[in-house]
Amino acid sequence: MSKALLCPCEDVTTSEVEHAIAKGSCDLESVKRFTGFGTGMCQGKQCLTAVARFLEEKVPLKAAQVLPFTPRPPLFPTELSHLASASFDPAVAPAGGVPPSLGLTEGALVPEGRVPERAKIVIIGGGIMGLALAWNLAERGETDVVVLERGYLCAGASGRNGGGVRMQWGTPTLIHLARRSIELMGRFARDLGINVWLRQGGYLFLAKSEAVVAKLERSAALHNKHGVPTQILTADAARDVVPQLSMVGVKAAAWNPLDGVIFPWPFLWGYAQAAKKRGVRVETFTRVTGFEQSQGRVRKVVTDRGDIACDTVVLAAGAWSPAVAALAGVRLPNEPHRHEICSSEPLKPFLGPLVSVLDSGLYFSQSMRGELVGGMGDPKEPAGMNLGSTRRFLTRYAQALTEQLPQLGRIKILRQWSGPYDVTPDNSPVLGPTPGLPNLLQLNGFVGHGFMMAPAVAERMAAWMASGASDELFERFTLQRFAEGRLEREDMIIG
Amino acid sequence: MSRRLEPITQPVTFELDGESITAQAGESVAAAFVAAGRSTLSRSIKYHRPRGPYCFSGGCAQCLVRVDGVPNQYACQVPARAGLRVERQNAFPDASVDVLQATDLVFSKWFNHHEFLAGVPIVEKVMLQVARKLAGLGLLPEQPAPARAPALVEQVPVALVGGGAAGLAAARALSERGVDFTLFEREGRCGGRLRIGADDGAPPITLPARGAVRTGATVVGLFADEGPPCLAVVQAERLHLVFYQRLLLANGGQPTLLTFPNNELPGIFAGRAVSRLIRDHRILPGERLAIVGEPDECRALARLVASAGGTPVAVGASPVRAHGLRRVDALTVSLDGREERHACDAVALCTPASPAFELARAAGARVAYSPRARLFVVEADAHGRATPSTWVAGELRGPMSASASAEQGLVAANALADDALKGATP
Repeated sequence: MSKALLCPCEDVTTSEVEHAIAKGSCDLESVKRFTGFGTGMCQGKQCLTAVARFLEEKVPLKAAQVLPFTPRPPLFPTELSHLASASFDPAVAPAGGVPPSLGLTEGALVPEGRVPERAKIVIIGGGIMGLALAWNLAERGETDVVVLERGYLCAGASGRNGGGVRMQWGTPTLIHLARRSIELMGRFARDLGINVWLRQGGYLFLAKSEAVVAKLERSAALHNKHGVPTQILTADAARDVVPQLSMVGVKAAAWNPLDGVIFPWPFLWGYAQAAKKRGVRVETFTRVTGFEQSQGRVRKVVTDRGDIACDTVVLAAGAWSPAVAALAGVRLPNEPHRHEICSSEPLKPFLGPLVSVLDSGLYFSQSMRGELVGGMGDPKEPAGMNLGSTRRFLTRYAQALTEQLPQLGRIKILRQWSGPYDVTPDNSPVLGPTPGLPNLLQLNGFVGHGFMMAPAVAERMAAWMASGASDELFERFTLQRFAEGRLEREDMIIG
Repeated sequence: MSRRLEPITQPVTFELDGESITAQAGESVAAAFVAAGRSTLSRSIKYHRPRGPYCFSGGCAQCLVRVDGVPNQYACQVPARAGLRVERQNAFPDASVDVLQATDLVFSKWFNHHEFLAGVPIVEKVMLQVARKLAGLGLLPEQPAPARAPALVEQVPVALVGGGAAGLAAARALSERGVDFTLFEREGRCGGRLRIGADDGAPPITLPARGAVRTGATVVGLFADEGPPCLAVVQAERLHLVFYQRLLLANGGQPTLLTFPNNELPGIFAGRAVSRLIRDHRILPGERLAIVGEPDECRALARLVASAGGTPVAVGASPVRAHGLRRVDALTVSLDGREERHACDAVALCTPASPAFELARAAGARVAYSPRARLFVVEADAHGRATPSTWVAGELRGPMSASASAEQGLVAANALADDALKGATP
C-alpha cells in the first residue's frame, strides 16, 4: 500500500508521526520514543532530518524548537568482539562520558502559559512513580493533582532502564510488591488501553562464587516461603534454559520462570493519558526552582512557569530527588549513581529469560523488538549525576557478555546510554512524610528497581494518602529511619 | 533496466539465496545486485515491504543482508568475492514472494502497535507470541567471532575525519604548513563527492604530500572518559583508540529521504548513489531516470546520466508519489504547480547531505536547526572553530558545493595550523 515512510529502518510512516503529534508529542525525543523512529540500524542517519522537517510543518515549531534527539554512540553499528578487544583499568574510577550534558535545559521547549495557581496535590517528577501515583489518586476520585516533569515523558530513569521485572528479591516487602506489580503489569493494557509487552521469560541469575551461591540459596528459600517458585539449578540445568550460555566458572543458578521483561515507555504514556483524562494536569518541560514554606509546611511549589499553592507535595523525582529536596532545606541520604546500558541490532528471538551474573553485575535480555538490551554495574562508579556514555563501559560489557554468550561476538551494538540509580544507604526506598515538613511526602530511593515496583507502590501510596489508614510501608521506610539507625537492608541488587 | 557501462574484466561469482551473481571483483554486493537487474534485496521490518539499496554509503540500512552467517551487513559495504554466501533476511518464504507483506495491506496506513488488541483477553497473549516471532532482523550467528588483535592505542597531534573535498583540502593545507596529522576515511579510497558526485565543476582529487591517510577506517565514536578525548576507529577488523590533541571534522553527511508515498520502493536511489554507480562502478541503474529534488544537484546529475546514455526525466521536479509494486515504474511529480506522471525505471532523490553532526556534538560543538536549509548543522566561527580543540569544514556546516567545501577545509586547516604552531595546548 502507499505509505510515505519517514523512517524506513523501523517502518515509521507519516500517519504514525501524525498520531504521535495528536497524542501530545511535539519534540523529536518524544516522537522518537512514541514511534520508534531513529532506533533502527541507521540510528537516525536517514530519518532524523525527514522527521524534523515533518514536525516543523505539522506542529508547527519555530526553528529554535527543532532540537535533534541525543545522538548515541557508537556512530556506526560496532561488533562486540571489537569493543571487547580494548582494555580498561579496573582500579580507576570511570569519569566523564558523552554527551557531556542531558540537553534538557533547552529553554525553547518550555510551554507558554503558567502552571495552575493551585492544586491539592503537586507531584514532582513525571516518571513512572509520579504518574502511577497520579493515576491511582485519580482512580480514587482525587483529580486536583498536578504532575511536574522537567523534561519530556521518559527523559529520566523511567525511560532509560532495561525493563526487567522480577520477584527474586531479598526481603519479603519487595517480594510482595514485585509480585503485585507484575500482576498489575499483566492487566495494564486492560486497565489503561496501551500495550506494555510483558513477556514472562523468567530471570536466570548465575553465581560464580560460593558467597553468591549462598545468597541465591538464602533468597530462594525466602521466595518459596512467600509463594515465588524460584529454583536453584546446577550449571548444567541452567544451560537447558539458555543453551548458548557458557557455564565456565558458574557454580549454580537461580531461576524463576514468572519474572520477565516489559517495554518501559508505554507505562508512562498509559498512566499519563489516563490520569489526564480524569482531570490530572501533567506539565512537561517545567522545572521546580524552590518551595515556599511557613509554620512547618510547604505552602507553594515554585517553578519556572509560576507558583502552585498546594496542600501536599510528593517528591517522586528519582535520582534528582536529593537536589529537589535541598530546595526545601531537606537533606536526603540518596545519591545518584550512573548506570550504563546499551542495545544491539535486532535479532530473531533466541533468548527467553533475562540473564544476570550477580558476581559482576552483568545482565542482558532480549526485548520484544529483538534487541539485546543489557548493562553492567561498575563498582568504581562515583556518586554524582552523570548521564554520559563511556568507552570503558562498552569494553567491560562486551568482554563480560561475549564470555557468557560467545556466539554474540559478531553482533553489533547500535546505541548506548545511561541512567541514574537513586541509591540509598540500605538499598531500600524512602517513603512517607518528611521529618519537620509533614506535607512533603517522599516517594524515591528505589536503587534502580523503581520501575518494576511503581505500579504496586503507587497503588499502596494512593490508598494511604486517600484513606489515612496506616500502612507499614510508609512507617518503616521513612526518611526518619536513617536518623534512627533503623536500616532495612536489601542485597539482591544487580550492579 | 540497469546496465553495465563497461564489461566485467575480473569476474567473481557469489551466491545470493542460492542464485549465482557475477560481479566485478571488489565492487560491492549491492552494486553487483543492481547491475544484475534485481530490485528486492530485503524486506522491511514491520510491513515486509520490498526494499532495495538506496544510499550506497552504508548509512540507510535498506540493503541489510546476512553474509557468511553474520546478520545485518550493509550489502553496499561488502566487497563481492568468489564464494561469498549472501542471504536475504526477514522474508517468508522468500524475498520475491513474501506472504507477510499482507501486513502492509491489512494496515494500509500504519500499524498502531501501542493500542492494537490492547487488553483483549486471550487474544493479546496470542498477539504477544506472534509479535515476538515476527520481531527482529537476522539470526544469531552460529559461530563466535574470530579472535581479534588487542585494540591499538595511538597518540596523534591532529586527527582529521573525512577524506572528501573538505578533508583533502584540509590535509593538503596541514601538509604544507608542516603540521603532522592523521586522516581517517571510511571508504576504501579518498575523494568523497570528488570521486562519486555529479558536480562537473569539482576540483580534482589531490592527496597531501605528507601526513598519514588511512582509508577503510570507520570512526565509530568519540569518547572522553579516559582523560583526553579519543576516537574509536575500526580499521582492518581491528579497534584503534586514537588520542588526539586537535580534531578537524570533515565527515560530511548522509543522504536523507524526501517524504512522499512509496518513497522507499526499490529502484529509488539517493542522487549521490546514482552518481556513484555511474562514476565509481560504471553501472547505469536505469534507462529512464526521474531526477527530482534540489534543482542544482538534479541538473548536475542529469548531465552525468545523459552522458552515460540514460534518459533523465522530470529533472528538478518535486516528487508527489511513486508507483510500482515490486519496484518503481513511474513517478508523479509536481512542476510549476502541475502534477505530471512520468514512466521511469529508476528515481534519483537529490538532496543536500544531512550533516553527520554526531561526532561534532560528542566533541562539544553546538548543533542547531537551520531554517533555511532545513537541516541540523554544526555551528562554528568564521575559521571553522567549533570548540577550543575542534574545527569543522564542509557539508557538516550546511549544504555547499564541493568547491565551497574544499575552501572551508583550507580555512579550517590554516586556523588549526595557526593554533598548533603557536604551541598552545588547546
